Amino acid sequence: MMVGRIVYMELRTGWKGLLIFGLLILVISAGIVQIFPTFRDSLTEELEGANKVSLELPEEQEGNITLSWKSMEKATSYMVLEDSRLSMVTAKLKYTGAETSITFEKDFEEKRYYAVMAILNETSESLLVGIATTEKGENPFQELLQNPVYKGLTGGRNINMLEAKGFIALEFFSWWWMLAGLFIAYLSVSVVASDFENKHMDMLLSTPVSRRQYLIEKFSAMTIVALLVILVATAGLASGLTSINALNEFPPHIVFQSLIGFLPFLMVIVSVGMFTAALFQKVRAGMGLTFAFVFAEFFLYAFGGLSKSLEWMKTISIFNYWDYSSVIIDDFFKAGDFILLTILAITLLIIGILIFEKKDIPA
Amino acid sequence: MTEEKVIEIENLTKMYGNNVGVKDLNLAVYKGEIVGFLGPNGAGKTTTIRSCLALIAKTAGEITIFGLDSHRDAVAIREKTGYLPGDFGLISSVKVSSYLKYLLSLRGCGSTEKMVSLAKRLELDLSRKTNELSKGNKLKVGIVQALMADPDLIIMDEPTSGLDPLMKQEFYRILREEKKEGKTVFMSSHVLADVERVCDRVAIIRKGQVKVVEEIQALQEKTGKVLEVEFGDPFTIDEFKLEGVSGLQQDNDRIVLTVNENLDGVIEVVSKHRILNMNLKTYSLEQLFLKYYAQGDSERGDA
Repeated sequence: MMVGRIVYMELRTGWKGLLIFGLLILVISAGIVQIFPTFRDSLTEELEGANKVSLELPEEQEGNITLSWKSMEKATSYMVLEDSRLSMVTAKLKYTGAETSITFEKDFEEKRYYAVMAILNETSESLLVGIATTEKGENPFQELLQNPVYKGLTGGRNINMLEAKGFIALEFFSWWWMLAGLFIAYLSVSVVASDFENKHMDMLLSTPVSRRQYLIEKFSAMTIVALLVILVATAGLASGLTSINALNEFPPHIVFQSLIGFLPFLMVIVSVGMFTAALFQKVRAGMGLTFAFVFAEFFLYAFGGLSKSLEWMKTISIFNYWDYSSVIIDDFFKAGDFILLTILAITLLIIGILIFEKKDIPA
Repeated sequence: MTEEKVIEIENLTKMYGNNVGVKDLNLAVYKGEIVGFLGPNGAGKTTTIRSCLALIAKTAGEITIFGLDSHRDAVAIREKTGYLPGDFGLISSVKVSSYLKYLLSLRGCGSTEKMVSLAKRLELDLSRKTNELSKGNKLKVGIVQALMADPDLIIMDEPTSGLDPLMKQEFYRILREEKKEGKTVFMSSHVLADVERVCDRVAIIRKGQVKVVEEIQALQEKTGKVLEVEFGDPFTIDEFKLEGVSGLQQDNDRIVLTVNENLDGVIEVVSKHRILNMNLKTYSLEQLFLKYYAQGDSERGDA
């Protein structure tokens, strides 16, 4: 019995599909960056002369937090968004009204981020004009406050769309998980379930390959595929950034770090795929459940950001442990999250193996 | 054949929910023999074989192969066992040679010598793609992979259904050679004629239980062959009342009789007449079963 043969065969028989998907990723990741200069120029033009609201850093006193900003001409009301994450993808509305200062009780321990939006009555357009964090001192958002085209921040997120990395974070990462995640989910289920459906399992398991080894090798093959997908996306983004001369703004190692954090996320999907394939032994059932898992995790994360009482939902979502914005904006790679998801992936794989070892192989 | 048991099945029971796969099945296969596992469809042959290989979990009973527990030591057993599944698929769109080499590598066997020679003998084109194979050629791939790593025990589920008569002959020759080398063969079939030419012993399974285990010779003596002749000239039934002949029936120009022995004597009498048509048949499994072993079993067979 030789270790790695199943891995080799999987990659060998699947190379055509992988090549096509790899090319797709390469074209999209390199191509999306090409749009950025045009996007930036048109947005800058649009934003020229835009007003800037001056936002004070939040002050904390006796368990209360005060957030204030200077009144802005023409603005009739202000909206304050709060989120526990830099990306503000899950921001909730903290305040809306005409006041230029709010005080509220501090009911959390960890860091909070705020965005203030001024509503202009002339245009009825809601524009995000200021942002601050509860952290004192220098932070990446302070720099944004100095930016005259600050208005470029959209959707309540604190990522600057006028920078290449902000643009990529919003226009690439926001859907990338779905493309790569569902591709890996599809592959992981089918490489195991199709051995049942094609009645090839008898052949494989009559060789001195244990069921444990079989599943571990399939898992390894899929992890390699996930890594290749990440490397191709890194290469695509880096080459795109090179071609628009923005490599210094968003260096390849940061691109790689923001994407590699996605690897254990994909490994969890691989484990779930193999788990369901071993349990149901059918491609369709396994696929349905694995896709449902991915979306359920996403919605848990999204709903978890809606209110404090729902926050527990976030903590049980795998999306909570792939914080690409932390790498892109803070240059901070969350190794703890990486390890946590890896442990989860391996645990799920072990459960999958235990189930597989108990199940009859259908004749 | 020695007294060393290669496969020992004791009180094997396998339930599929409320349905019985096999019940309290007992069987032993000794080193160096070829044992035919005979039974109608649905009798439990595949269930027994797949339990031996730990592809399905047994409900109760013990299976020992090479003195090892079939489930606990499954991997060690498979190192010395070649298996042809009754129904199987191949990895699609690879060359047959690549596919077979892949399975060889999973067995940790580097030599392709036997694979090539088996393929040649069975007229299997190794350069074909797996998805281009006919049913018969796919079966040949299955046979080659079961034998190519030179295993000590060969388990085959219905190896001959789908082989043409010439290939069957070659396949039997290969099995006899394996036996000569001291290999043990356990093969299932639902056709008596397919196993009697090569097997030393036959185990007959019906409704999940082994009803009888017999030396093939004893079985042949018991069953005999059915000879059917159509004559072009007059004959009398008394001419055929010979030693070793039973079940005489006359139907106009035709005579049907069962030959247990003395076939040459019968042929001598037959050859005195003008023969229009002649047919020598083996008892079908079901006929055999009903005739010799079904006493007390009033239910009809299921195949």
